[in-house]
Amino acid sequence: MGVLSRAIRNISRRKIRALLVIIALGFCMAIMVSIPAGVTANQESTLALTQNLGSVITQTEATINQTLTQIECTLAPSFEGFGFAPPSSGSSGNMAQPPIGGNFTPSRPFGGGNIPGQFGGGQFGSRGTTPMNESLYYDISSIEGVVAVVPTLTVSQGTNQTMEMFGRSFTRLVVDYVIEGVPLTSVIDEYPILPTNITAGRNLQAGDSGVVLISANNSAFFGVGVGDTIEILGQTFLVVGIHGSTGVEDQLTLYMNLSDAQSLTGNVGYITGLTVFAESSAVVSDVASAISELHPELTVVTGQQRLQQLEAMRRNYETALANAESTLAQTQGTAVQVTIVAVAAASLIVLFVMLYTVRERTREIGTLKAIGFSDWTVMSQFMLEGVLLSLVASVVGIAVASFAAPTLSGLLLPTVTQQVNMGRGVTAATASTGTASVTLTPELVLMALGGAALLGALGSLYPAWRAARTRPAEAMRYE
Amino acid sequence: MNEAVLKLENLSKTYTLGKRNVQALSNVNLQVNKGEFVAIMGPSGSGKTTLLNILGCLDKPTAGLVLLDGVDVTSLPEKELYKIRGSKIGFVFQTFNLLPYLNARENVELPMESLKVPKDERKRRAGELLAMVGLSGREEHRPQRLSAGEQQRVAIARALANNPALILADEPTGNLDAKNKYEIVKLLANLNINQGTTIIMVTHDSNVASQAERLLFLNDGKITREKQGLHLVKKKLMCPYCGGKIQAEDTMCPSCRKKLKYQGEEDGD
Repeated sequence: MGVLSRAIRNISRRKIRALLVIIALGFCMAIMVSIPAGVTANQESTLALTQNLGSVITQTEATINQTLTQIECTLAPSFEGFGFAPPSSGSSGNMAQPPIGGNFTPSRPFGGGNIPGQFGGGQFGSRGTTPMNESLYYDISSIEGVVAVVPTLTVSQGTNQTMEMFGRSFTRLVVDYVIEGVPLTSVIDEYPILPTNITAGRNLQAGDSGVVLISANNSAFFGVGVGDTIEILGQTFLVVGIHGSTGVEDQLTLYMNLSDAQSLTGNVGYITGLTVFAESSAVVSDVASAISELHPELTVVTGQQRLQQLEAMRRNYETALANAESTLAQTQGTAVQVTIVAVAAASLIVLFVMLYTVRERTREIGTLKAIGFSDWTVMSQFMLEGVLLSLVASVVGIAVASFAAPTLSGLLLPTVTQQVNMGRGVTAATASTGTASVTLTPELVLMALGGAALLGALGSLYPAWRAARTRPAEAMRYE
Repeated sequence: MNEAVLKLENLSKTYTLGKRNVQALSNVNLQVNKGEFVAIMGPSGSGKTTLLNILGCLDKPTAGLVLLDGVDVTSLPEKELYKIRGSKIGFVFQTFNLLPYLNARENVELPMESLKVPKDERKRRAGELLAMVGLSGREEHRPQRLSAGEQQRVAIARALANNPALILADEPTGNLDAKNKYEIVKLLANLNINQGTTIIMVTHDSNVASQAERLLFLNDGKITREKQGLHLVKKKLMCPYCGGKIQAEDTMCPSCRKKLKYQGEEDGD
């Protein structure tokens, strides 16, 4: 019979009381364990958010810098019932003409994001979706300072979804994939029109026809790989390569010959965008104003303007970063407060329970001292009981926290959904601390056990000292 | 046979209650020799408990000397006293004071634990002691499964565990019925006769006290009277009337059929 086994027997002697104490202590311990895990989850989600955004901005900036001589010309989208009515093509095909803001079409090389069916984006980084006559090509080619004009046709394919907005019913397209027709002539070798990041197979080459370059998303959507054939709007194409995305990229876009795309989508003679290459970056703005003068109906965006838009995006990003940091600081502040309360509550529980036990067992303590137990033995007996109670409670607390930690930390810590808006209302990234996964690391579990032992020892220090100071004479007649 | 186990010299104890000083013990002188069975009697407030606490090193006197087994315990610091208590004194309490979550054997082992007796040795000796107090076969029983008398037997076995020089019994029969009272006193008396254990017992009960060898009457903190108890007679195992042989538990002489009683004023009843 050692001190330890006596302590265990003493605890198990009053089962209901021990159980209640362990539940109460365990709850405190669960909170203590959940909070650091919750803070870590918060930090991780904030870090992921900022890193993700940072890399998006860096990549986009690099792409824009490479293409400063590039000018994108598109036709401003028209409202339903007005303007150009595109020929209908395919059952689910649609020349997207959303009522507000334009359909968000992922496109190379400037994307505002890549979420299908996402509103917003506007002109930024988006090739037009409104068809225009390809004869514009000749008008613009003749402008001074222009070295190349590349006509493209961008058609989104997907399913229509009806939604209510401002009391009206609108139809919007949920995009499955985007067909991008590019003239496969020698121009693609000289100017950056096609994706450069080929992950499998080969890129499109001048003179290719009846073949497509698909994205990883397309590959998954159609279930095809390099060398397979793919059926698009009833026609069969050979997949020659798969492109990966770089930065905010064209993850839904499949590339094919412009004439293939025109005939496939029933847009023979029509294009949706013109990419104009200026002689040098010095003449870009002159060329842009010349285009606008010649065709005022066109929306003309230069690399300079895109850089300005990127600056706005960066400011948003920095604001979001600052917000994230202040949220994190707030979370940590709350975490400290909650932890202090939990530790204090747990210590007080141990303190009161052990004080009560010592008081209740005065005669036993007196007896032990009368039959030759030292103050130290008596003290260690009661401290050990407090430590054991805390340890058992911490095991319970860890068990509870292992499945309830997200709930507990969600309840106790501020849950803030951090959003970074890029461009016009495009949510580039979101991160919510509430949905972040809270994990218990082995280090945390070990720390919790150690902390519990320490807490039990501290809480029972005074009661144990009281016990040791009990005068053995009280044992003689104490009732 | 006159080896002093306990010697009190001019022992005084004063308590301070508020502004009043209460003289609990004044100038007590006493010698208890090895193998004696002493009963201390006295009314409430006479200083019995104070005396017993001082004898048991649980309290310190205001003045005077307590020599226990030749050691002056009044000069020892508190941290030495627990060793003295553990090795030289065995306590028997009115309320038995067994640890309820330990079985009989484990309760008897407790005092040996503080003297670091090896586990096997503890177990063996606890078994022996329990057999000696008539509880063989009950070793694994916890106190709540033992009767009051049996619990006090376990407590007596526990008091004997470390072969103490002195057993201090504080109203050992106070919580027992008549039958068990007799059994416990007989047990103490037999221990005294057969093992030579020195016993000091505090009691209210004159019937219980009369079984001892020396009766001390305590009044207002002083030993006012002393007389011989029946035990002395039994210890000699000789009838004081006819000189015939008697047994320790006999209440009447088998030879002359006279009632065996203690000597003193109640003589001739």
